[in-house]
Amino acid sequence: MSDILLQAENVGIRFGGLQALEALNLTVRDKELCCIIGPNGAGKSTFLNVLTGTLRPTSGSVRFLGHDSAGLPLHRIARLGIARKFQIPSVFPNLSVEDNLKVARWGAPSPVRPVGELLELVALGNRAATLAGELAHGQKQWLEIGMALAIEPRLLLLDEPTAGMTPQETLATAQMLLRLKGEFSIVAVEHDIRFVRALNCETLVLHQGRRLRSGPFHDIESDEMVRDVYLGRR
Amino acid sequence: MIARDRNWLLIFATCVALAIIYPFFAGGYQLTVIRDALIFGLFAASLDFFWGRTGILCFGHAAFFGIGGYIMALVTLNDAIPFGSLLGIMGAVAGAAFVAAIIGYFLFFGGIRGSYFTIVTLAMGVICQQAAVSWSSVTGGDSGLIGIPPIEFDLGGLHVDLSQDLPSYIFVSAIVAMTVLALWLISRGRWGTVLTAIQDNEIRAAALGHNAPLRLLVTFVLSAAIAGLAGALYVCMAGLVAPDLSGLLLSTEVIVWVAVGGRGTLLGPVLGAIFIQRAQQTISSFNPSLWPLLLGCVFVIIVFVLPDGILSIYARLKGLFKGRRRAQ
Repeated sequence: MSDILLQAENVGIRFGGLQALEALNLTVRDKELCCIIGPNGAGKSTFLNVLTGTLRPTSGSVRFLGHDSAGLPLHRIARLGIARKFQIPSVFPNLSVEDNLKVARWGAPSPVRPVGELLELVALGNRAATLAGELAHGQKQWLEIGMALAIEPRLLLLDEPTAGMTPQETLATAQMLLRLKGEFSIVAVEHDIRFVRALNCETLVLHQGRRLRSGPFHDIESDEMVRDVYLGRR
Repeated sequence: MIARDRNWLLIFATCVALAIIYPFFAGGYQLTVIRDALIFGLFAASLDFFWGRTGILCFGHAAFFGIGGYIMALVTLNDAIPFGSLLGIMGAVAGAAFVAAIIGYFLFFGGIRGSYFTIVTLAMGVICQQAAVSWSSVTGGDSGLIGIPPIEFDLGGLHVDLSQDLPSYIFVSAIVAMTVLALWLISRGRWGTVLTAIQDNEIRAAALGHNAPLRLLVTFVLSAAIAGLAGALYVCMAGLVAPDLSGLLLSTEVIVWVAVGGRGTLLGPVLGAIFIQRAQQTISSFNPSLWPLLLGCVFVIIVFVLPDGILSIYARLKGLFKGRRRAQ
């Protein structure tokens, strides 16, 4: 199984008396797209932090290309080929859109895509000279995806990429990711069901820090238990 | 952006032209006054290179000025050392850079930023001044060291002797112009852009693969090295070195020069230093104790009302009128 990029085994994390995550397994193969969903407080962002190595699990292990990435400095994790898009759009407001992408490219060990191509990929071709701080919310999210692409990642981790987007922007983002699918692995944490439906990929459902269900999205969507959790019946 | 670069170069060229014509109109004494003000201008530019690009305020920058000054004095006053002026300048630059590297390493890699950095560097400045006072066998204590010879060296067949007013003015002006231009080129290029990114969001920059603490450290060391150079030049022109040169008052003054001249412009702080020292001389001639009081007030006003410097009044007025027009 040499095409396994990221493998999380039996991951658990405890904050004081709170068991935030328990016995989670996730295998991401090369160039695979998968989603992690779950209601608020299910531990999605915590799990993502564990996957990127910013949080060390109290039990279990996370291996990226066979290496333990837990506790590495941020810039080293980036250079391993893990790109991350934060939940709150975190672009550089005082730099132009173009400079934002340049800064991202400069950080990469071997950038491939030129800035012009990145601008087109994230639909910001006509905003290159705009200060990133002046972009609309959805455009900031896209710029951040573009910055993540600039470092030519092996794995792109997206934390609620569509938070605060209009339904149209959400669908456009899903299409953007579907176009990129097959170039590298993508793990998206989301709670907007429309977005996950549009991606229609392998999905892991978290509830109270545990795995509730996992499988292809169409199976998940019809699952009675998942519906109950989302509707707050359990 | 491009228009802004052109404006900067235009102002820079104007200043250089003024510096070139000035000796034709000014006497020896006036030349030395401007020369000394220019050295402090270089010092202000060094602080601006760090503060303006990283947004982190160093409140003990005079420590590096003083370290440079003392090293220069000790090297040139020691007859056993050949090529005193050149070695002294190199030692001053290296010494200031070394101290900055050690202090900066622990602060930047330890995650110290913002006001905490300011407070620690404030303490560093006070320690340096205290060391200069107490270590009197080397530093001469409170009265400092006197009789530092003017800069004199041979470089590739060129004999440089700065004991006269005009050559020293030309030498200092050329160094200030070249350094400011070099710092500007660094700031507007890739280095400066990444620093702006780090200032905006350091964690994000790190997540993109940038080693933010290292970049901040190198910027800080470069800034300190130039402050050390300014200190070395100053003590040779003044002929003496004293603990005040690494003291809190000078650290505060340099912040005011940068703030008044416009943080992040590099050229503004040089002009700010010249104009404020001019004002200081005029005001001190009425009453010597008036100046520190006034300086303190200006500092507080700038921090509260104009955090982006006096030049930002223009930008604010422009914004105000734009807003009015839009409202109508």
